[in-house]
Amino acid sequence: MSTTPRVTPPPHATTADFGTLMSYIGKPTAAFFDLYAEYWQRGVLPPDLKEITRLRNARVTDCGY
Amino acid sequence: MSTPTSTPVDANLELTLGKRPELWSRFQSFYAALWADGHVSRRVLELCRLRVAAIHGCAAEWEYRTADVFIADTDVAALQRGDFQPFDHCEQAALQIAEKTPFQHQAITDAEVKAVENGYGPAATVALLTAIAFFDVRCRWHLTLN
Repeated sequence: MSTTPRVTPPPHATTADFGTLMSYIGKPTAAFFDLYAEYWQRGVLPPDLKEITRLRNARVTDCGY
Repeated sequence: MSTPTSTPVDANLELTLGKRPELWSRFQSFYAALWADGHVSRRVLELCRLRVAAIHGCAAEWEYRTADVFIADTDVAALQRGDFQPFDHCEQAALQIAEKTPFQHQAITDAEVKAVENGYGPAATVALLTAIAFFDVRCRWHLTLN
């Protein structure tokens, strides 16, 4: 379950991680986090159900994050 | 935040996802931002979108053609059968990622990602990997929700 980035980080980055890599595409990344915040902060599903499905999906996809 | 104009392929998703309009509008804005990003050409994005659609057998995404992107009929046929020979080596590298993302994402190798980076640069690689992931999401939504 790797969390090691495979892409060369930006020159300004002091670390190579998900955040620094996503900084390459600032506008889509900002739009994604706006979407993500809406999903987590509002809606009819209880937070614990969202978290359970998130964790299950991470296990199925072998996503270390 | 302005919401991009819905395309015909969006209408299919909007039937269900429109029940959460705040979420749907934010997804549309995000998806439009991926296409407008500019690090990857719209042609390469379209090639990958169509290949993902073909893998899923997703008619909604397959039958839709992104505006202002021309893909020759022979290339479309090649995408449907998974033949990447008609495409240049950079496009082939991108398509190799698209090929594996839906059901073999764990088999994507470091070399395959590096091939995309060598062809298009690191920013474009991040843009492409992100876009392909959401082409996959859209197909799964079409097939699951409708």
